[in-house]
Amino acid sequence: MLLVRDSMTRDVVTLSPQTTAAEALALCREKRIRHLPVMEGGRLVGMVSDRDLRSATPALGDPARAEALQEIRAEGVMTRDVLSAHPEDPIEQAANTMREEKIGCLPVIEGDELVGILTSSDVLEALVFLIGAHEPGSRVEVVMPDRPGTLAGVAGLFGELGINIVSVVAGPRQETPDAGPREGRIGTFKVDTIDPRVAVEVLEQAGYEVLWPP
Amino acid sequence: MSGNAALVHDLALESYGFGGDHPFNPLRIRLTFELCEALGLLEGYPFVGSEPATEDDLRSVHSLTYVRMVERAGRGVGDPLDLMHYGLGTGDNPIFPGMHDACARVVGAVLEACRLVMRGEAAHAMCISGGLHHALRSKASGFCVYNDAGVAIARLKEGYPGIRIAYVDTDAHHGDGVQWMFYDDPNVLTVSMHESGRYLFPGTGAIDERGRDGGVGYSVNVPLEPYTGDDSWISCFETVVPEVLHAFEPDLILSQNGCDGHALDPLTHLLATTRLYEHVPRRIHELAHELCEGRWVATGGGGYDIWRVVPRVWTALWAVVSHQDLPEKVPVDWLMILGKRSPVELPVLMRDDPAGYPPTVRDAEIADHNHRTTEALLENVLALIQQGAPR
Repeated sequence: MLLVRDSMTRDVVTLSPQTTAAEALALCREKRIRHLPVMEGGRLVGMVSDRDLRSATPALGDPARAEALQEIRAEGVMTRDVLSAHPEDPIEQAANTMREEKIGCLPVIEGDELVGILTSSDVLEALVFLIGAHEPGSRVEVVMPDRPGTLAGVAGLFGELGINIVSVVAGPRQETPDAGPREGRIGTFKVDTIDPRVAVEVLEQAGYEVLWPP
Repeated sequence: MSGNAALVHDLALESYGFGGDHPFNPLRIRLTFELCEALGLLEGYPFVGSEPATEDDLRSVHSLTYVRMVERAGRGVGDPLDLMHYGLGTGDNPIFPGMHDACARVVGAVLEACRLVMRGEAAHAMCISGGLHHALRSKASGFCVYNDAGVAIARLKEGYPGIRIAYVDTDAHHGDGVQWMFYDDPNVLTVSMHESGRYLFPGTGAIDERGRDGGVGYSVNVPLEPYTGDDSWISCFETVVPEVLHAFEPDLILSQNGCDGHALDPLTHLLATTRLYEHVPRRIHELAHELCEGRWVATGGGGYDIWRVVPRVWTALWAVVSHQDLPEKVPVDWLMILGKRSPVELPVLMRDDPAGYPPTVRDAEIADHNHRTTEALLENVLALIQQGAPR
C-alpha cells in the first residue's frame, strides 16, 4: 500500500493526438474519469483533463459548440510537459507532487511504457485503507513525548490489555492559531474495542495525555 | 391506533452476558422488567417464550465456520489465537460457557417477535435482549456475537418473498453489522442515527455509505456530532426518518432501540435524555400504523448506564409498544429494593428533568452541523428510494 504500484489504476483509457474533443468528453462521461493520457507510437506525449476539454470548447447551448467539438483534437489542448511517477515511488512522494503542483493525476511510467495512472481518488483510497477506516474500531488520540520509545510504550499498553491495534498514524502536532507550535507528537490509534475506557485510564496513569476520548 | 402487543422474553435470555465488570450486563434486562412490573405495565402481558435459533437460521447471515467457532468457544475448546481471529475471546467479546446457546436464544427470540407480528398474532412486539447490531458475518464485534436483526430480516425475506423491511437503529453506535449484511439489497432499508464514526466505535456510518449495486440509496446514515442533545437529535430524526420511510413503503419496521446516546452513558459522547427515547418509539409507532398496518418489532441494543437509564428508557419503550401510559414516578418499592444495590443514586421520576440537562454553549453550532448532514444525506438517497418504491 505504500508504493505507487499498489494504489495505481492499471487499466488506463488513452487517446491519440487526433482524438476529437467530442470523443474524449464521451469517454470521460462513460468511464467516469477525468484524466486521459495521450499516446503516440506507444509513448506518452501529453495529458488531457476534462477541464482542459471544457475550457477549450464553447459552452453548452452555444451554436458553435457541436462543430468545435468535432474540430478540436487532443493534441491541441493537451499538456505536453507531463510530470509522472514511477511504480516504485513511495505514495507519499507522488501525493506531495500532486499537492505542490496542484494536479489531480500522475501517469505512471516504467522505462518508456505507460503502466498506470495515479489519481487523487487513488491516493485517498490508500489513505482510507492505511488508517483502517473500513474495519471496526475506536479512535484514541494520545500525545507522545518526542523521544525514542514512546510509540512502543503506548502500543505496548494496548497489547498488555489484549486490545488489537487496527491502525496507527503518528506525526507532529499541528500548530494552532492560539497555541502556536507545540511539543510532542500525536498518535492516532484505531483500536479494536467498543470500550476504550480502561485503555485511557492506563495510558493516563502511565503519564500520557489522551486527547480523545475526553 | 391500537392492536395487541407481545413481549417476547424468558429467563434463559438473561444468560447472554459476559460476566465480571463487563459493561454488557444482562442485569439491565432484569431491572427493566422489575420496573415494568412495579409500575403494573406487565399486567395482561405474559412473557412469550421462544426456541433458540437453529443453525440454518444463523447461517442465513453468518458463515458456518464462524458458527462452529462460537460453539467450540462455548465448550471451552479451540485455539485462542484462532478464536480471536473471529473476534472471540477479546476484551469486548470474552468467551463464556454455553455462549453459542445463549446467543442463539437471543436470535430466536427476535425471530419469534417477527413471526408473531407477520402472522398478525400481535400488532407490535418487543424483545429487549435483541439489538446486537455489530455482529458481522464471521466475526463477533462490539459485544455482539450473532446478529439477531440480520437473521430475522434474512429469514423474513425467505418466508415472505418480496417483503420490504425498514430497519431503524437509534443506538449511539453505527448499526454496521446489519448495514453490511443488506448493503446491496433494495428490499431492506437500513437507517442508522449514531455518534459520528470519526469519534466513536465502530468508525463507520458516514453519509456516503449509502449501499452498493442495486441497493444504492437503501443504506441511510445520520452521523451526529459528539455532544448532540435531544433538540438536534429529534430534529434530525424528524427530517430524515419519516421522509425515507414514506418513500420506501415498508411492510414491517424493525427498530433497534439502544439507549447509549443518553447523557449519562459512559461509552459515548451524546447528550440525549428520556425525551428522545420517548419521542423515537412514539414516532416509529405512528409510522408503522401509517405505512404497514402497525407491523413493528422493537429490540433493545446498547445502554451502559444500567441503573439510571436503561430500565426507565426501555420501560418507556414498552409503554409505547403496548399502548399504555407511562407513569410519572418511579415506584417507591422498586427504589427501596434497588436503591440499596445501586452504586449510584437512582432518579425518582420516569422522565428526566430538563433542568438537570442544561443546554451547552456549542448547541447551536452542533445543531447547524447536524442539520447540514441531514440535508446532504437526503439529497444523496431520497430520490433513489423514491424511484425504487413499489406500486
